[in-house]
Amino acid sequence: MTSLNISDTAQVAARLRVSRRRRQRLHNTAAYVVLGLIALIMLYPFYWTFITSLEPTGDIYKPKIAPSGISLKNYAAVLTGTTVPMWRMLINSLVICTVGVVGCVTLAALAAYPLAKMRFPGRDLIFYAILALMVLPNEAGLIVNYITTIKLGLLEQRGPVLDTITQYAAIVLPSLASIIGLFLIRQAYLGVPVELIEAARIDGAKELTIWRKIMLPLSMPTIAAFAILEFVALWNSFLWARILPLDPQMLPLSAGLLELSGTFSTNSRATMAGAVLVVLPILAVFASLQRYFMKGIEGAVKG
Amino acid sequence: MSLTRPTLKPERAGGTSRRVTLRTSLSAYAFLLPFVVLLVLYHAWPVFFGTYLGFTKYNIISPPQFVGLDNFRELLRDEQFWSGVKSSLKYILVVPVIQLLSIAVAMLVNRPLRGIGFFRTAYYVPVVTSFAVVGLMWNWMYQQEGPVNFVLMRLGLMKGDHSLLNNPATALYAVMFVTLWKGIGYYMVLYLAGLQSIGRELEEAATIDGATRWQVFTNITLPGLRPTILVCSLLSTISAIKVFEEIYVMTQGGPVGSTYTALFFTYSKAFVDFRYGYAAAAGIVIAVISLMFGLINFRITRGGRVDA
Repeated sequence: MTSLNISDTAQVAARLRVSRRRRQRLHNTAAYVVLGLIALIMLYPFYWTFITSLEPTGDIYKPKIAPSGISLKNYAAVLTGTTVPMWRMLINSLVICTVGVVGCVTLAALAAYPLAKMRFPGRDLIFYAILALMVLPNEAGLIVNYITTIKLGLLEQRGPVLDTITQYAAIVLPSLASIIGLFLIRQAYLGVPVELIEAARIDGAKELTIWRKIMLPLSMPTIAAFAILEFVALWNSFLWARILPLDPQMLPLSAGLLELSGTFSTNSRATMAGAVLVVLPILAVFASLQRYFMKGIEGAVKG
Repeated sequence: MSLTRPTLKPERAGGTSRRVTLRTSLSAYAFLLPFVVLLVLYHAWPVFFGTYLGFTKYNIISPPQFVGLDNFRELLRDEQFWSGVKSSLKYILVVPVIQLLSIAVAMLVNRPLRGIGFFRTAYYVPVVTSFAVVGLMWNWMYQQEGPVNFVLMRLGLMKGDHSLLNNPATALYAVMFVTLWKGIGYYMVLYLAGLQSIGRELEEAATIDGATRWQVFTNITLPGLRPTILVCSLLSTISAIKVFEEIYVMTQGGPVGSTYTALFFTYSKAFVDFRYGYAAAAGIVIAVISLMFGLINFRITRGGRVDA
């Protein structure tokens, strides 16, 4: 009697478990189908652009899953065959990104230190003034920065070497003071134990030494995340460089790509090759460092 | 902050303390100086000078000439400007769509499935891609014989006799789709963080008590996400009104002005017509409009909140 009952219950339980597992599997399959469909929509344009850029000829805009032929002639065309070859833009982008990231991180890391860990008159005032700048309307920012750049004489002709330097400066200067970077790094500094800093001060360490030897090393994860975000932002930005009346030789990749789409309007495949070259480094950086990205944007919004 | 007050200070002699404070202040300002100089030059100055410019006539060559409210009076009658504002407001349509889809996608990738990391990464790829590339890529995708038309024709949604970007009736929506496509991954990450802060216990407890999935979603998940929804929809409302880069790369305001947005007006007045004062005035009006819609958005997302 009892044994029958137990086996009955066990059977019911087992049946329930099976049906639940089946339902679970069904749910998971449905989830994968939806996930895959979204992934297709997100990635296909990249894939399609890539395979089309490899084709020598054919129906360029046709939807496809494999290239009709493979050649590197479109890449050769954009790398050498224009008035402004892509390798030159690549150098420009590298210079702008390096200077920009180093400058941005250094300035924000320096400025965040007194705001987080020093006591001086005017600290709160400065902090709230910077905070206010973030919300004040700045629709005319592009216009006024353009005027400022012209008035600073950064685009005047002085000689080939000096012109190169001032034009790089004209592109990079407006993005060097990053408020988001300042807040991110300040937040990291706040977590540094004050005893450490006090001990160093008593030992007679200069503030700059404390900053370099204590604050920077202890905040490295945040600083790295910010540096990566800034790199991507600088690599991707094109509007400012397109608006400035720059020497075409000075354009960074993203801005230069739009220039290319004009010159290559009859051969979009070459522009596609260019687009691939612009995206590739970012995808490489993103793929290898992606956890920093997610942390970075969460922090940037909360900050 | 009061916790971090140095405890040693009171023990020091007054004179030294003051000297140390002065030196501290000096070095604090030295640390701040480079950042603040650039901040003032490229962030603070545009706010003030830009506002002033709105009340002037200025072409860069001769100094700004104060004209009072003339620019604003002209804006009131400028049909091109208002049609731009209309397009920008139409663009707000993106906001509810992108927020709902992002929440759905975030819930989807929040499941403990195998290989879910791949999907999260895949959805984020458009976010890290430049609008220069994204815009060109979709321009090619939208070509008449391109993949977009192919899919829409197969689904029976269009005849495929034109490109969506060349048709004034559809161009703005075609651009909106690109904004959506590029933005979902960004909001997904924010909602994912929101979801993970809710905690599973509450949802599990409700499920055990017999709540349906929909009930769990509306009574636990959605209220838990409310702070994130508030921030995200505010961000996307403001960027919808100020939509520019997509337009600049993809359509330049065309065809026949159908994608001519408010900020595109500002841009072309400044950098095509060289009317910097007039462009700045338009910028001020756009700022006021986006502030208003930011407030409306705040009201809507706060509305229905139990503890508000």
